[in-house]
Amino acid sequence: MIEALFEAVLGPLGEGFFQKALLGGALVAIPCSVVGCLVILRRMAFLGDALSHAMLAGVTGGYLFMRLAFGIAAHAAAMLIGSVLAALMTVFMINFISRVSRLKEDTSIGIMYTGVFAFGGVLASFFAEKIHIDLVHFVLGHVLAVDSTDLWVSGIVAGIVLSTILLFYRQFQVTTFDPVMATSLGIPVAALNALLTADVSFVVVSGVGMVGVILVVGLLITPAATALLLSTRLSRMMLLAAVFGLTSVIGGLYFSLGLNVSGGSAIILFCTVQFLVVFTVAPRHGLLAGWLRKRRMVPQQMIEDILRAALRADSAGGATRDDIVRYLHGPHSRLEGALRRMQREGVLTREGDRHRLTEHGRFEARRILRAHRLWETYLHRMGTPDDRVHETAHQLEHVHDEESVDYLDDRLGHPVLDPHGSPIPADFVHATPGREVRSSLLRDGDRAVVVAIGPIAQESPLRLGTVITAGPREDDGDTWTFRDAQGTEIRLDHEQADEVRVEVLEVSRSDGD
Amino acid sequence: MTTDPGSGSRPPAIRVENLTVSYGPRPALLDVTLEIEPGLLIGVIGPNGSGKSTLMKAILGFLKPDLGEVRVFGRPVEKMRRRVTYVPQRGAIDWDFPTTVAEVALMGRYGHVPWWREPTSRDREIARNALETVRMGEFAGRQIGELSGGQQQRVIMARALAQEAEILLLDEPFAGVDAATEQAILDVLERAKEQGKTLVVVHHDLATAARTFDRLVLLKQRLFAYGTPREVLEPELLRQVYEGNLAAFSQLAGEGEER
Repeated sequence: MIEALFEAVLGPLGEGFFQKALLGGALVAIPCSVVGCLVILRRMAFLGDALSHAMLAGVTGGYLFMRLAFGIAAHAAAMLIGSVLAALMTVFMINFISRVSRLKEDTSIGIMYTGVFAFGGVLASFFAEKIHIDLVHFVLGHVLAVDSTDLWVSGIVAGIVLSTILLFYRQFQVTTFDPVMATSLGIPVAALNALLTADVSFVVVSGVGMVGVILVVGLLITPAATALLLSTRLSRMMLLAAVFGLTSVIGGLYFSLGLNVSGGSAIILFCTVQFLVVFTVAPRHGLLAGWLRKRRMVPQQMIEDILRAALRADSAGGATRDDIVRYLHGPHSRLEGALRRMQREGVLTREGDRHRLTEHGRFEARRILRAHRLWETYLHRMGTPDDRVHETAHQLEHVHDEESVDYLDDRLGHPVLDPHGSPIPADFVHATPGREVRSSLLRDGDRAVVVAIGPIAQESPLRLGTVITAGPREDDGDTWTFRDAQGTEIRLDHEQADEVRVEVLEVSRSDGD
Repeated sequence: MTTDPGSGSRPPAIRVENLTVSYGPRPALLDVTLEIEPGLLIGVIGPNGSGKSTLMKAILGFLKPDLGEVRVFGRPVEKMRRRVTYVPQRGAIDWDFPTTVAEVALMGRYGHVPWWREPTSRDREIARNALETVRMGEFAGRQIGELSGGQQQRVIMARALAQEAEILLLDEPFAGVDAATEQAILDVLERAKEQGKTLVVVHHDLATAARTFDRLVLLKQRLFAYGTPREVLEPELLRQVYEGNLAAFSQLAGEGEER
């Protein structure tokens, strides 16, 4: 068994064609993946695709030139130079067209690369008897049949591409991240863009020979994308991309040999599977991590239920676990976790078997209670059947951001009691000593000094600087009563009370359950 | 063109002289002359398409004017590129880019590091100090995508400070931020000003312009006014510039008179 495995791994290594394929594949995949990092960060993936197709014209052109001028067939260097020239010309045309016309870049890419590809096809078939380009190889690659010329080409390309990226790493980093800033730093952005385009052309040209024109884009972007899922820095992303490029070549070649399938396809398929695996298990942004996070997450509803249970039991020195369980609306399988988390966040403290609210916790609990009772009042007024008011309000109390609660409070006329007759906590967020609020927010016993009076309230006996004490609300909550220092009673309706702005001096603390 | 660098008095931070820039028959800027003293917080206001960003590009030396010139500390802007830096809008940056807060601050030093060398420990120290100045030191190792809006704005400010340029041009730093973030950004601007920087800020919100800036530039192709907020936020002047957008300044006019 182990022997067979040994044989499967080591056996092919003895074969010349396999060694060449491995070496060639690595020489192609590594620079491809590294350049691919910049390509995907600049959203140039489609351009990579275009360049690989444009190559056909270049290869045919280079072949024909050497054949017709010097009578040499299949001159590798000429075909390579032809390819790079064709790629650069295609890029130039793409940029030119999208600059001078109203067409978007992806459109001009589509126009130009299909055009150049078709031109290559016409050229190849017109000179069919002079030219011997294997279109099947061009489309699917021939990684299992690489010769030393291919190796030389790939080696030189890898050398050029990797050294430019290493030399100008910082310049590439900053022009990719923020081109405007790069310009203001004095970095020649246009020259760098041209250099990167040339690099992309080089790696694409050398990649087509291995995996074919259709799949080369996969080699360019998939390892880079896989690396991005695991990286917080560009340098690390490039390193990982190179590793993933290499592993897909190794994995893909064994795979292709074992199943006797096309080498190029096997490499790219391995690449894609590798991506999917990382995409699933990546620690930060992977599917699995997200799923686990969600599972571990304590539902907001439970936290709010605990807060309210603890608030209710506040005067008794805190809530026991049973008190809380009685209050929970959902399943309580994650109760322990929730309690621990709330302690960690400084909302609850534990004293023996009782959970007590901290100052911060009390504030939060009262906020939620206030939201709940305001929602109940709102639902009651909207005509929601009584038996459904509590449940619906319980769902809606999760909408308790400051702005929404303030809106509800004002719209309902700052009610004091909810439909069941329970007190609604005062607006303790705004109506605190030292702050300026509308007098409509004051509750029985609060003291404040008048600082502004709007037109509607002009007729009231209130004057700037009057110190007032709020009395009980009358007429079903529609009339605000105040007394000044002399004991004179002042009565205001909602609109008037809104127009009188006061600075709060002292608030009575008599709300809550 | 009469500026004499040898006259002894400190040259203005930015001097724009008879600047005309056009992209077609309609000029983006027409005969703008403006002198900005160093160490001030300047707001550039004007309606959409009034040439605010063209003025910024001109001060950065990014474009060739049809006529006129921009001088930075008395010298042509082309020779002073290092002294001026641009702080882009938050939305202009790809926050998913794989880079950390510390790296972004260090990018501010790239203009000072020759391409064949690595940033020195001094460069790293300057970048670190810039992060401390904007109170982002403790976030140095974070990936930039994990930051809140206000923190992101502070990181790009730190990058600009690390460039050690004397003049900072900011493109709408207050666009779409909440009150707390706005305060955080103002705080950073104040700190930069304390260090003697000149800050030029493209600003949209007339209502907050008066309390934010030392001086205002009111632009609509031509320069309509440059001076203290009180001088610039004149109802009559605003009416000329913002014709049609009456609502935008009807309350504001009142506010201006109160001051």
